[in-house]
Amino acid sequence: MNELSGLSRLRFLPAFLWAVALIALWEIASWLLLEVLQVPMAQSKLPYIHEIVSTFGQYGNTLANEGWVTLTNAALGFALGAAAGASLAVLMSASKWMERLAFPYAVASQMVPILGLAPIVYGIVRDEQAARIIIAAYITFFPVSLNMLRGLRSAHPYALELMHSYAAKPWTIYWKLRFPASLPGLFSGLKIAAPLAVTGAILVELMGAQHGIGVIMLRNLYYGPSHTYMFWSTVIVGALLGVLSYLIIGWIERLAAPWQPEFRSKGGGR
Amino acid sequence: MTESTAALVPEIELEQISMQYPAAFSDVLALQDVSLSIAKGEFVSLLGPSGCGKTTLLRIMADLIQPTGGRIEVAGKSAKEARLAQRYGIVFQNPVLYDWRKVKQNITLPLELKGVKKSEREARAMELLELVGLQKFADQYPWQLSGGMQQRVAIARALAMEPEILLMDEPFSALDEFSRERLNEELLSIWSKVGNTIVFVTHNISEAVFLSDRVFVLSPHPGRLSAVAEISLPRPRTKEMRNSEAFFRLIAQIRDSFEGV
Repeated sequence: MNELSGLSRLRFLPAFLWAVALIALWEIASWLLLEVLQVPMAQSKLPYIHEIVSTFGQYGNTLANEGWVTLTNAALGFALGAAAGASLAVLMSASKWMERLAFPYAVASQMVPILGLAPIVYGIVRDEQAARIIIAAYITFFPVSLNMLRGLRSAHPYALELMHSYAAKPWTIYWKLRFPASLPGLFSGLKIAAPLAVTGAILVELMGAQHGIGVIMLRNLYYGPSHTYMFWSTVIVGALLGVLSYLIIGWIERLAAPWQPEFRSKGGGR
Repeated sequence: MTESTAALVPEIELEQISMQYPAAFSDVLALQDVSLSIAKGEFVSLLGPSGCGKTTLLRIMADLIQPTGGRIEVAGKSAKEARLAQRYGIVFQNPVLYDWRKVKQNITLPLELKGVKKSEREARAMELLELVGLQKFADQYPWQLSGGMQQRVAIARALAMEPEILLMDEPFSALDEFSRERLNEELLSIWSKVGNTIVFVTHNISEAVFLSDRVFVLSPHPGRLSAVAEISLPRPRTKEMRNSEAFFRLIAQIRDSFEGV
């Protein structure tokens, strides 16, 4: 047991050293820009990490509250978009006709720049919360639908013939075979979409809203160099929200589809 | 099995079965006028090189595809009725186990679809696992088993509905020679306990001879029945028979029947 924990400590050691080295390099570069080269607006370009950390300590509450607003709105939109995307994938897998009808529009929808779409949506719904949710859903929809469709089609032909030999009804084939087989695809789609949904929600906030991490990001950008550490903090919170959303989906995947090759222990296979 | 018993109760009857696949320039004739009769409880092999239509013939029996000509009767009914009545179990070249189900749950799948009670399903699965010698692996996932073990699970699953007929499409072709021979012996021991009709597709002459009562030899372009070999080796078949003179003679005789083609 001791040996094992010693080994795992060793495993994390390189990652830890790497992080420490990176932070040290950053601090040195920051100091060089500010004190030695005396570049104008040096702290806006490469701020001291210790200053950002202290800003986090000072304004932690605000950052957490606004981050929470962004995350919940993004999550709601993400859930709606994922449900719509998965449903469309089921319809398209069931009928070629449906696929031919819907797929070109699904692709075309991805060509519309979100930056242009967000104000249009906001102009229509006139509600920052609804706009955020709609944009997050819109971004989520396509990767989920595409990957889920692939997953639904991934069932082995023999596995389908086996179902045919059992005289299984179409619904049973979906429930017992196609849905479980589609889980890896579904989760790939969800993992791509989750951070994008967060980014989408922040984008809408930048266009004008009362709450959310995007709002304080924009404000601190306006205030200029005096608020540079806070601005950087909001950017980091945005990134952390994306990472968090990705990790949550990954954790759910482990619970929902633990049988996938990437989760198998190395000693298990023969 | 002798000819007189073979003629007794026909389980599968094919009359002038033809199968034509449309192709770009001229249609491909996969099977031409194949007629044969398989008796209840008989173990027969469909043997031939690739392209001879042996798998196509099996798939027609399984009602996975419909022939373009001819008539087929399975247990006195059409192939489709036999399929809907779950008269046959099928084993493919790959085990086709569902990764998300444990070994036991893979075997209970057909029972689940038929609405058999859970306690009954589990009991049946354990019986079948014992039959194929894998009781210890009931709660493992398929990918934790070797290829040969996976194929034994597939056989257990095919037997779950107690089918009168077991259709096997080159089930051991992906295995090494040693595993294949061992599984041949195991299959015969399972068959002796279950006593159903088995149609076994293979391209391996010695495998066909070792297992079967009769071997239907098919030849390609177009796929047709070119010979029927009665395998007179006594039952139960043993490992030692593989080295017997009679065994080699039968193999040579079947090989000769390909020469004439």
